[in-house]
Amino acid sequence: MRPLSLQLVSVVTVLVGVLTLAAGLIWLERRLLAFWQERLGPNRVGPAGLLQPVADAIKLLAKEDWVPPFADRPVFVIAPAIVFVTVLMSFAVVPITPGIGVVDLDVGLLFFLAMTGLGAYSAVLAGWASGSKYALLGGLRAAAQLLSYEVFMGLSLMGVVVMAGSFNLRDIVDAQRDLWFIVPQFAGFVVFMVAGLAETHRLPFDMPEAEAELVAGFHAEYSGMKFGMFFVGEYAGIILISSLITVLFLGGWHGPWLPGWLWFFLKTMLFICFFILLRASLARPRNDQLMAYGWKVMLPVALLNLMVTAAVVLAVGD
Amino acid sequence: MNESYVSLLVLAAVALGLGTVILMLNGLLGPSKPTASKLDTFETGNEPEGDARQRFSIRFYLVAILFILFDIEVVFLFPWAVLFKDYVAAGLGTFMFVEMAVFVGILAIGLAYVWRKGALEWD
Amino acid sequence: MRGARAEPFEALPSALTAPGVTPQATADGVPTAWVPAGRIHDTLAQLKRDGYRFLYDLTAIDERMRTHREHPMGDFTVVYHLFDYDRNADVRLKVALCGDRPSLPTLTDVWPMANWYEREVWDMFGVSFEGHPNLYRILMPRGWQGHPLRKDHPARATEMEPFRLPDERQAELQEALRFRPEEWGLQRREDELLFLNVGPHHPGTHGVLRIVLALDGEVIVEAVPEIGFHHRAAEKMGERQTWHTYIPYTDRVDYLGGVMNNLPYCLAVEKLAGIEVPERALVIRVMLCELFRIASHLVWYGTFAQDVGALSPVFYMFTDRERILEIIEAVCGGRLHPSWFRIGGVAADLPEGWDGLVRDFLDYMPKRLRDYDQMVMRNRIFQGRTRGIGQYTLDEAIEWGVTGPGLRACGLEWDWRRRRPYAGYDRFEFDVPTATAGDAYARAEVRVEEIRQSLRIVRQCLEHMPAGEYKSSHPLTTPPRKERTMQDIETLIHHFLTVSWGPVVPAGEALQMVEGTKGNNGYYLVSDGGTHAYRTRIRSMTFPHMQMLPQMARGLMVPDLLAILGSIDFVLADVDR
Repeated sequence: MRPLSLQLVSVVTVLVGVLTLAAGLIWLERRLLAFWQERLGPNRVGPAGLLQPVADAIKLLAKEDWVPPFADRPVFVIAPAIVFVTVLMSFAVVPITPGIGVVDLDVGLLFFLAMTGLGAYSAVLAGWASGSKYALLGGLRAAAQLLSYEVFMGLSLMGVVVMAGSFNLRDIVDAQRDLWFIVPQFAGFVVFMVAGLAETHRLPFDMPEAEAELVAGFHAEYSGMKFGMFFVGEYAGIILISSLITVLFLGGWHGPWLPGWLWFFLKTMLFICFFILLRASLARPRNDQLMAYGWKVMLPVALLNLMVTAAVVLAVGD
Repeated sequence: MNESYVSLLVLAAVALGLGTVILMLNGLLGPSKPTASKLDTFETGNEPEGDARQRFSIRFYLVAILFILFDIEVVFLFPWAVLFKDYVAAGLGTFMFVEMAVFVGILAIGLAYVWRKGALEWD
Repeated sequence: MRGARAEPFEALPSALTAPGVTPQATADGVPTAWVPAGRIHDTLAQLKRDGYRFLYDLTAIDERMRTHREHPMGDFTVVYHLFDYDRNADVRLKVALCGDRPSLPTLTDVWPMANWYEREVWDMFGVSFEGHPNLYRILMPRGWQGHPLRKDHPARATEMEPFRLPDERQAELQEALRFRPEEWGLQRREDELLFLNVGPHHPGTHGVLRIVLALDGEVIVEAVPEIGFHHRAAEKMGERQTWHTYIPYTDRVDYLGGVMNNLPYCLAVEKLAGIEVPERALVIRVMLCELFRIASHLVWYGTFAQDVGALSPVFYMFTDRERILEIIEAVCGGRLHPSWFRIGGVAADLPEGWDGLVRDFLDYMPKRLRDYDQMVMRNRIFQGRTRGIGQYTLDEAIEWGVTGPGLRACGLEWDWRRRRPYAGYDRFEFDVPTATAGDAYARAEVRVEEIRQSLRIVRQCLEHMPAGEYKSSHPLTTPPRKERTMQDIETLIHHFLTVSWGPVVPAGEALQMVEGTKGNNGYYLVSDGGTHAYRTRIRSMTFPHMQMLPQMARGLMVPDLLAILGSIDFVLADVDR
């Protein structure tokens, strides 16, 4: 057993790493969007605006810590913490390199799915606890969307599991030494990516907060750091989904010449940027269109992908 | 106890602690000046008519039911998927494949039924 | 431009030949007749059956301070303006009403769209309409005292008590704003509906508009738009500003249309005064108007895309609009509200180098439009969000008074620039784009194509800009010509009076309708032979469109409402005036 101090070090390293990256992502997203939209983006606080997230955090901390009188107080306070904690917990099972990572769980993938499922409560409870109609509609949309896409998310990964024969994320990465799973599991990759977008409710799937319709949806009544938690949770969620895509489909740390952690970082950044590009370029479907898309396209595709994968594994194995 | 779970517990404790500290810091640093309009519900500048906590459309309930049905069925696929390679190695591959094909077939029929019944349509 | 049209007396439709009907001559040549109050409802219904299917306008005039009273005038006049698309003919009916609490039978049973117009007349003039389903105030707050467009209602803050808003009063007004489902035939308990206020402080309503939704889940059972938050008494101000000093107020009505608002006003005054505008001024006006049409459509394009969730287009389109505003600034000095047109011409000649700016823009824009086609119009998510949404048929469009791109999206090739040429539009070549589906996407298609057509018109202006005067030499032109003031005393006196008091426009009335940025924009001016208008009626473009919102939204979902709002392309300053 590793000494507790060492565990603490690895835990704190991962937490600090993720939170720093999430903060950096806020800056990156705003700069990238600005770049794609013919404008400048934040460029005043610190060099190239890099300290903007720090300024934002200070501002959020100095905001009134406010719980609306009509809200369900305990749930209202707990809701943002749920997404914050569950997303950070999920990072425990992400293997950055064979040596770096908090834990090496045999049920790593299941742990991730469980945490994602738990994280969905955040938006739903926030919407319900706020006691405001916009928040309620956002919360209900979140419930419908997150629940549905959870089904497809888990299912889309079963092809990978069949091929790797393990839920352990390190084993899954190792199984991709010769061939990244994105090739044989392309359908699974697409479904997982779409489901990941839906789970982090990022544009184009940001119906729970749809600014033009529900103003801010489930977090309409939130302010200060409680809002900040949703915010950080969302960005950490993007990092999480991107790093899982890296681990599950892009061979994790595998890659020539460069050190493993750098490969991991580069692949993850690629998908983070891709998610930001999606936000810059797509319109938002209606929530019923998203649901229909999930149940009528994603689910059959994921099921079919699983059976085809199994058939191929069977044929090769025999 | 498995050592990995200790690490997880440590992580959970640190993450929870961090969340609590941030929220408490916000309470310490932030002002507290409640005003009448601040205490109002946000409804784009109007007095709300009717409560936000009321009975709500059945459609959302339907999605929840679908979720429970399908998610539980999907859970049955998980252990099968992780062990499938072992079964293939043990020569039981075809049996397990057919077994699961039947299961997925039933699942597909269920989906087709729900689809035809219009439970996937929003309105 | 004074249309060479038939004499008003001869042009009256047969339904108006009955005894008791008195024709009236007007400066705009619209066949006008006074009808007794008892017969007005049936006459209007008959005219509708005869083909006048479009209730162009319904408004009123307080006649109690009038000096020129040649006609069978009472204390109040209610004015109905009908239009027939098939014959390109219109008719104006007037009803004289007496007493302090006049009333008329409602027209809502014949034209549902009369609903809001009658509410406005009630709100502004205190004329009540018997049988109206919900005759509440529409532009003023519920608790308002008096009827603002009556001549005895104060027009200036100095004529009123100082404004105060104590907490109790604010709470009272806020309470008056509370939505009461019973007033709109909705039962809360039985239907289990969720009543959701959308706006006035909502990013999707493009300004201070309030829509109360009755929701079943996310499905809209009923939508009740509430307007008036942006009301600034534009019509009332027309009664105290001189003919000339009112021009800047028009800019602020459709604030995206800039000088496009000056145009119908100036044209109407020119009709009243009998001013001919020189060629060069005409073409300058057309060019600036079309530039503003492009600017307005670009704002619509970007915000519409944003309403359905696309973040980026609005930034591109505002960049393009900025280029137009740079041209406008170079020519006028102003940007959004240049107030550049004058009675009889424009404020100044084009500056040196204007043609280079315009040419650069004309070369730059088409490629951008192609990019936008790719980015927005051909985007499948965008199409999925807008096709079949907010659909109405051509008949419904005419019935509800839809004009502009919303009408052309139903397949009717009707452009007032083409059908009723004004301001010299008849000498330009351009197509009138149409679509057939009548949904949000069709409206978008029409507008996108209109941008291209406007570019064509601007290019023609650029290449054929005539030489000559930029302002008429007519004595009522504002500001009057100054060259000869130092040579003879009459010109000096005239100049002094016209500048200090404003021109005296002959008594009469004139309407000028134009194809505005968002539909038909009409200014109906009544002069009592003074230095300011006796009545300024702004027939706004989007007021009727907004009224049609419930019709379009019922049965759809909350996100669709935003797509519909975006596709209507309204400006609340124009709806509320």
